[in-house]
Amino acid sequence: MKLVLSTSNLMKGGGSSVIRRPTTEKSNVELINALRSNFQASQHESSNGSSSSNGTSSTATNGYKSWTSEHDGTLYIPARDFSQPGLSEERPQYDITVKLFYLPGIPVSRRCAHTREAIDLVLKELDVDSIDLLIVSFPGILFDAEDDSEDEDEATEGEDTGANEGQVQQPDDFDSMVQTWRTLEKLQSEGMISQLGVAEFGSERLARFLAHTNVKPSVDQINLKDCCVVPKSLILYAKQEHIQLLTHNDCNDILPVGTTRELLGPGESGAGILASAPDKNDGIQGDVEPQWVVKYTAVVKDRGVVENKGYFALADIGNCVRTES
Amino acid sequence: MGLLALGTALEWPEAKQRAHQVREWGIEQLLAIWNRAKGKERDALLWGDEVEYLVVAVDEHAKKARLSLAQADILKSLARDEALWKSDGGENQDGTGAGAEPPHFHPEFGRFMLEATPAKPWGIDFKDLLKVEGNMKRRREVAKAHMASNEYPITMTTFPRLGTKDDYIQPYYPPSGPALRSQFVPDEIANPHIRFPTLAANIRSRRGRKVELNVPVFKDTNTPSPFKDPTVNYDLHIWPEDDDVRNGAAKDDHVYMDAMAFGMGSCCLQITFQAKNINEGRKLYDQLSPLGPILMALTAATPIYKGFLVDTDSRWNQISRAVDDRTPEELGELPLKNDRWRIPKSRYASNSTYISQDPRLRKEYLDPDLVVDEDIKKRLIEGGMDDLLATHFAHLFIRDPLVIFSEDLEELDLNKADHFENLQSTNWQHMRFKPPPPEKNDIGWRVEFRSMEVQMTDFENAAFSIFIVLVTRAILSFDLNFYIPIQRTTENMETAHARDGVLDSKFYFRKDPFPRRVRRQQHSSNGSNMSSATSSAVNTPPPSPPLAPVEMEYDLMTISEIINGSTDGSFPGLIPLVESYLDSVNVDVETRCSLASYLDLIRKRADGTLWTGARWIREYVAKHPAYKQDSVVSEEICYDLVKAVDEMAVKEGKNGSVGWEMLRGKKK
Repeated sequence: MKLVLSTSNLMKGGGSSVIRRPTTEKSNVELINALRSNFQASQHESSNGSSSSNGTSSTATNGYKSWTSEHDGTLYIPARDFSQPGLSEERPQYDITVKLFYLPGIPVSRRCAHTREAIDLVLKELDVDSIDLLIVSFPGILFDAEDDSEDEDEATEGEDTGANEGQVQQPDDFDSMVQTWRTLEKLQSEGMISQLGVAEFGSERLARFLAHTNVKPSVDQINLKDCCVVPKSLILYAKQEHIQLLTHNDCNDILPVGTTRELLGPGESGAGILASAPDKNDGIQGDVEPQWVVKYTAVVKDRGVVENKGYFALADIGNCVRTES
Repeated sequence: MGLLALGTALEWPEAKQRAHQVREWGIEQLLAIWNRAKGKERDALLWGDEVEYLVVAVDEHAKKARLSLAQADILKSLARDEALWKSDGGENQDGTGAGAEPPHFHPEFGRFMLEATPAKPWGIDFKDLLKVEGNMKRRREVAKAHMASNEYPITMTTFPRLGTKDDYIQPYYPPSGPALRSQFVPDEIANPHIRFPTLAANIRSRRGRKVELNVPVFKDTNTPSPFKDPTVNYDLHIWPEDDDVRNGAAKDDHVYMDAMAFGMGSCCLQITFQAKNINEGRKLYDQLSPLGPILMALTAATPIYKGFLVDTDSRWNQISRAVDDRTPEELGELPLKNDRWRIPKSRYASNSTYISQDPRLRKEYLDPDLVVDEDIKKRLIEGGMDDLLATHFAHLFIRDPLVIFSEDLEELDLNKADHFENLQSTNWQHMRFKPPPPEKNDIGWRVEFRSMEVQMTDFENAAFSIFIVLVTRAILSFDLNFYIPIQRTTENMETAHARDGVLDSKFYFRKDPFPRRVRRQQHSSNGSNMSSATSSAVNTPPPSPPLAPVEMEYDLMTISEIINGSTDGSFPGLIPLVESYLDSVNVDVETRCSLASYLDLIRKRADGTLWTGARWIREYVAKHPAYKQDSVVSEEICYDLVKAVDEMAVKEGKNGSVGWEMLRGKKK
């Protein structure tokens, strides 16, 4: 079974989940908080809407069914809200940027399907038929401003990407990135996406990568923890190749397995989707495996107003998912 | 301020007779504009900054700095260049701008002032934001290039020795002219265009005496106590108004001033935004209003008047008093007999209305003592305007028009806005809501943010301009709610004057700026005006749970908490809001880094790491060898100060150069 987690529009009522606090180190709090608050709000609304309970969230078995929806083997958490109006103005008024995070440990072979799946959800959510920019984030690549000549054969980022989950994390190898890029080029040629971009590429990786592309990335998005220490080599190379260097503040490990379990699990901060124990019948049984996360933003071009921003995350659940090592 | 065509300006007794006609015609013009433009949609964000300069002439031999009255010559010379640029087809300019259109310069009230705006308004393309500082620098250079070699454009809010006994202007004119009747400044201090002396004279005349500015003096160790302003002449008998001081106009422990030039001669940094439509304009007007006092305290740069250190840091109240045309009856000093109402504020004051049709606007936020001309309001409502906006304009129109040209009273032209603007542009509130001008189709509804003090360097002026622009984008993107009762903003405006108020004072501010979550299935079809409210809302709200008492919605906060967020995380802070906004849009590396340096300046001004201009000037005076701890800012100190400020405009506190405490926070 698949689970589609969604935040709805963070800009309208997402409240404090969107605010980066200087005290919090991890920047995936935006996604996690937004998911959590969207789950809670949906639970709250559904329990207020039905007369079954007196204001607190339902404790009945499989209470989540009241605020989620199932369709073709996919559980939407919360239920898709088709009353959402989409964008308020005509499509050409917007810049729609989508960033797709391929998650660590997920086979490259699934990416073609994942990409289509993710883009499809975003297009439906915003009620549009194309996006302006798709940035893909490959797992395990960290932009290192100090040393722009990173060597992707050395898996040095293990402790940052999921060691706390007990996984051994391999960064994406170069061939699989190129293979993934083919998929993106195809989507682009179908007219669904205007421009493609990558994230966290240093100048050497970029140079090597460009040689294998038919459609060049027009954007390289890098995370600047301490602003203004961008290697000159990268700036020059990007300029020469007409690649725009954009900034972001996304977490490298945006949705770890443990966090997902906590979000969906029983207990105080959980949504009560997962069963509380292997022999309990109070939720879905099995392992959870997040597959990808997609972030989308729709900005009114000539006014700089962010009208819609949100995330979808997809996880597989059940006993048929790949056993973790 | 734009200049009107020349004509026969009416003196006050006659102007007063025609005031009603001007108001009536102004309202008809407003209705015509409103009906034409209320449906105007999808205007882009365009914005412009206005930087004002003092023109200071430096006399190296006498070691004196004087205000130069060369405004007209400089403007003429600038206009020649602009014409030349146009006749050249806009190409091949002098090299500095490589063919870029020259900036626009405008006259101001003071004949020692210039105002400069960019040639074209800015957009929201982030790369545009990077051009602002360079453009401001270029404006300064262009202005300088058209001045005498010893003249400098200085961005101090006030000239430290305006109105002293010495020859602080060049060329020199003695005080006590017929228009201002000031014992400190000559009529020649004002722009000679008939509009300005008439404005000053009619304010004085309507008021029945000279304007009266008393600023508390800063008491240093050697300052006499009580302090009696030693520059006041009690034996002057030229004009009837010379009696003012004998009737107690000059207060003990205060620096006394008596003319419009002491206020309207101040330099400000004003930002105007174009909204996408009238609704967005009304929303921005409301949401920016509570930020006015906060940004004023952050930009405070006015600690000296008439050669004395004063105990306040900001210019606002002085300007307010310098153009206060209220009669004794309107001020509440005499019982109402001839005048129509008591008026609690000067025409130059913090604003008193909220105008957005936002369900979050609660009745409790409005000013219960708002003075409104009910007849005008009735006419506006008959003309199709909604109650809130009609109230706003009926409030502005309680004032009399001050400068009336008899030629304009012959026929009402509904395709013009002159009578409307006569009232609108002499209501100098800290926010201004500007309808599209009738003669220009490409301009939309605009909002002007007017409370900031001009900063000594263009780095700072750019930083504050851009910060406010980003705040407006965050307000619209996150649908933020900064509403507090408008009287609290008025109180904040007072608080913002306090010496070092930026660090020591607390301001009323809304605790939770986020919109209430939209209930699913409850979206309005156009996606705007979501959010819920209660029965106390002014605008018709959807049914919703009751709200907490208004007093629970806001709290007293420091500037640092408002800007950087509270330490317990309960208030997010404007800078984190702006950064979250920037995280949600595509910003290139170079732009983000420049923006970071601007945001860093504001962050550090708020937390005290960097000094405000006011603080820096105080410290500069205090450390000057010629300062005698008696609050007196002598000619010698003034000369050195102006030189330092000019040097700072170039070096910007880099590498430990002058002003580093205000600009960099570190010496190296």
